[in-house]
Amino acid sequence: MLLLGLDEPIRHAATAPDLTYTWSQALSDLGQISPIATLTGFMLFAIVVELALPRPRRGGVVAMVSVVGYAYALGTAAYRWIYGLSGPAYHGFASGDAFAQFFEILFAILGILTVAIAHPYLTRRGLREGEFHILIMAAVIGMMVLGSATSLVTVFLGLELFSISLYIACGFTRVETKGQEAAAKYLLVGGFASAFVLYGMALVYGASGTTLIPEIAQRIQSSASGNPLLLMGILLMGVGFAFKVSAAPFHMWTPDVYQGAPIPVTAFMSVGTKAAAFAMIVRVFAGGLPHLAPEWQALLAFVAATSMIVGNLMAITQTSIKRLLAYSGIAQAGYILIGVIAGGKAGLAAVLFYLFVYLFMNFGAFAVVTLLTDADGDHDRIADLDGLHRRSWPMAVLMTVFMLSLAGFPPFVGFFGKLFLFTAGVNAGYTWLVVLAVITSVVSVYYYVRVLIPVWSPSARLDGLPAPISSRAAILISGAASLGLGIYPTYALLVSTLGAGPLTGQ
Amino acid sequence: MTLTVIWLLPLIGAILVAGMPPHLAKYMAILVALGALAIAGFVALSFAPNWPHYQFDESQLWIPQLHIFYRLGIDGISLWLVLLNAFLTLIALLATPTGMRGASRFIALMLAMSAGMAGVLLASDLVLFYVFWEAMLIPAYFLLWLFGEGERPGRAALKFVLFTLVGSLLMLVGVIGEYVFTGQQTFDLSKLPTIAPSPAIQFGLFGVFALAFGIKTPLFPLHSWLPDAYAAAPTPMLVTFAGMMGKTGAYGFLRIAIPLFPNPSYWWDWHWVIPVLAVGGIIWGALMAIAQKDMKLLVAYSSVSHMGFIILGIFALNVQGQQGALLQMVNHGIIVPALFLMVGWIYDRTGTFDRSSVMGLASRMPIFAGVLTVVVLAALGLPGLNSFVGEFMTLLGAWERAPALAIAGAIGLILAPIYMLRFFQGAMYAPEPYPRPLDDIGAGQLTLLAPLVVLMFALGLAPGVLTTLMTSVAQQGLAR
Repeated sequence: MLLLGLDEPIRHAATAPDLTYTWSQALSDLGQISPIATLTGFMLFAIVVELALPRPRRGGVVAMVSVVGYAYALGTAAYRWIYGLSGPAYHGFASGDAFAQFFEILFAILGILTVAIAHPYLTRRGLREGEFHILIMAAVIGMMVLGSATSLVTVFLGLELFSISLYIACGFTRVETKGQEAAAKYLLVGGFASAFVLYGMALVYGASGTTLIPEIAQRIQSSASGNPLLLMGILLMGVGFAFKVSAAPFHMWTPDVYQGAPIPVTAFMSVGTKAAAFAMIVRVFAGGLPHLAPEWQALLAFVAATSMIVGNLMAITQTSIKRLLAYSGIAQAGYILIGVIAGGKAGLAAVLFYLFVYLFMNFGAFAVVTLLTDADGDHDRIADLDGLHRRSWPMAVLMTVFMLSLAGFPPFVGFFGKLFLFTAGVNAGYTWLVVLAVITSVVSVYYYVRVLIPVWSPSARLDGLPAPISSRAAILISGAASLGLGIYPTYALLVSTLGAGPLTGQ
Repeated sequence: MTLTVIWLLPLIGAILVAGMPPHLAKYMAILVALGALAIAGFVALSFAPNWPHYQFDESQLWIPQLHIFYRLGIDGISLWLVLLNAFLTLIALLATPTGMRGASRFIALMLAMSAGMAGVLLASDLVLFYVFWEAMLIPAYFLLWLFGEGERPGRAALKFVLFTLVGSLLMLVGVIGEYVFTGQQTFDLSKLPTIAPSPAIQFGLFGVFALAFGIKTPLFPLHSWLPDAYAAAPTPMLVTFAGMMGKTGAYGFLRIAIPLFPNPSYWWDWHWVIPVLAVGGIIWGALMAIAQKDMKLLVAYSSVSHMGFIILGIFALNVQGQQGALLQMVNHGIIVPALFLMVGWIYDRTGTFDRSSVMGLASRMPIFAGVLTVVVLAALGLPGLNSFVGEFMTLLGAWERAPALAIAGAIGLILAPIYMLRFFQGAMYAPEPYPRPLDDIGAGQLTLLAPLVVLMFALGLAPGVLTTLMTSVAQQGLAR
């Protein structure tokens, strides 16, 4: 980033950027991105630990290092949030504003939860642990970069950082052909999507003469709506973003990749990729192209409608929970897009709120499935949940909470997430999209409830469910959040509103 | 706080009893239900009849960003239904056998469902109403699925949930629309009737609300979930499920659909659509009841018929009709649980729900037969018992609205004796004395029925107790 900032002056720039770079400036910049910087430090340290310690011990130590790293990043971001510290960094290429902090907090929590379920999982399957945690840390860093990116270049940097880490993580089980297939597929499709995004960015740069998002917003006024370069740029970026949030009709990779990847990776991806990609969409579209809103709103409305229909309908016939949640995730992306399209304070706050709570309910569901894993591999068929209430009733209750929350039943938090999204949608005049969303939601109830049938059905299985303490804690936290944030969503919504503040002019 | 306790107490009770051994769970749950009933009774006794607003109201800011409040209130419409809910919960818990599989869980879910229904009746904020409305589906689904009878209870449960959700999820759009299109950004049910949106929007919103309430009630062509669900539901569950949950739909019409959307209410009424559907329900339900051999389904379809009277009364849009409808909600909530309980006991003793294979109960279980006589006569609307007054008032209201409706509705009154008496005679009497006597109902089961039967007489002989308190509110709803 330092290099990029000092790179050749932007061609069309009206005034050349200030290229002097002092130590105090460097420190201040580092302060703005301190959660990312500290986590990067911890990741580098984890690499050293991984190299230095003898094999049997290092897995656990790296796990500890990464948890401490996430906690430290979380603390730093929370500190900066509480004291209202924010400002641009690296000549406007990144920003340490409330939006960035919101996502830093979200991804740090995700990181901790991922380690909590991945550590016992990797041990049970006899996989090498150190590399895994380091890869996830790198992915988290990339996602955090996306949250704080205020330049198209930084956006791409974050996008690639987390994508490449996840390509590797998907194929982490090297003996499984399915994992290999998933990794290869994800790599190809992901690379394709990145190319789309990059091409779109190039066109927008060509039309506006800058990569800095706030400057793009200033330079491109509504008169530019007929500009073919910009329209093409929006279209290409939109396609790439839709790939990344796994929205239909660009969703084909999702079920296969989710199914092939080890469950902790799937759990991490399903939540993290979605949140990061939405951060990117909001930053670029709502932040950078507000005057072209009608154009990208039309594009996203189409994508949202298709996602809700395709996701919900395809999920009905799935027998694998991973695939089912993949399709459900496609549908959920459609719901979240309603908030992006609606925009404004309420719309973006609803998006952030939903991303935050989706973290808990979706991750929790995957975490319960993680418990079913044994040395043979993942057991993620719906039928594998057979007799869960007799094997471990707390897990059965929590799985029920996650499914009902995803289905949008009050008093669980999924309902309130939808309420906020839909209210914003109706307020912005997208009633048809909201009606479509609720009609497809009825379908979704069918397949979410179908997961619960083996959970509660009478069954002969009585063998206990080995539930390591860390997994149990992660699931319990997710469950408590899914219920607690539903009963009292006020503060979480307030935080989301503040987080969306930098993009709604507050 | 008083009203909060009415719904929160059963919910806390539900969480507590879930892990207890069955006997203790039942004991605790009955205590909880008694507590809730006592508080509801206290509210009823200190209720001010001439104050046509929400009483005992509570208001607490919940989600300020969307102006959502935690608001509870009670008025002449909800008061009786809240009492009925608490009362039926108690009866249902008393009727629960502790020997059944997973009895503690059953009892916990029953308490949770009761809490949800109480919340629906108490909420005076549209979002809060919706939250309870959806939340009560969760225990209802699990009760039907896990404790259901028949071949595939899971299927009936899913059908019930999906049917209800089609309506209630669209209602969510209506709830949001009410917030947005009135231009006032409020969910306050005491304020919303005064700020109706433009007629065109009212029609759309009324459509989604009416669909949700119509499915739940059920209104005639939307009733197909009901026979399956009632056939699958275990007897103790039916006490509250049939006795109370359907009423929440009718309550929704009375509380939300009509006051909030006057233009479409009158339009649909004026164009005969809803009254004709109601009459259709009365006649269709009665005809289907005649055709049933299964006693449980017979009572289920008679329920469809009776709910038709309630809708007819509500959409007469006059005071007699709506009072009659409310009275009939309470009446039906007393009669149907008694019928389902007794049918369930016949099943326990003979092992069949088939009407034609049960014979000679009069000589085999004389006490039972005596009580059933009263219940059946109440169900077919004999003067002096409770149902007569309610049906008469709804028909009176319908007559004021249009005599043809009342005449058509009265066909239901003619059909009711046919299915009820056929069932009664077939089950009670036999050509020759039946050889094997059966266990008659004992003191325990009699104490269960006693309050129901007493209420049938009491409300039949002195319906004025209820109607005086309802008057103010029903008139207020029609004042505009």
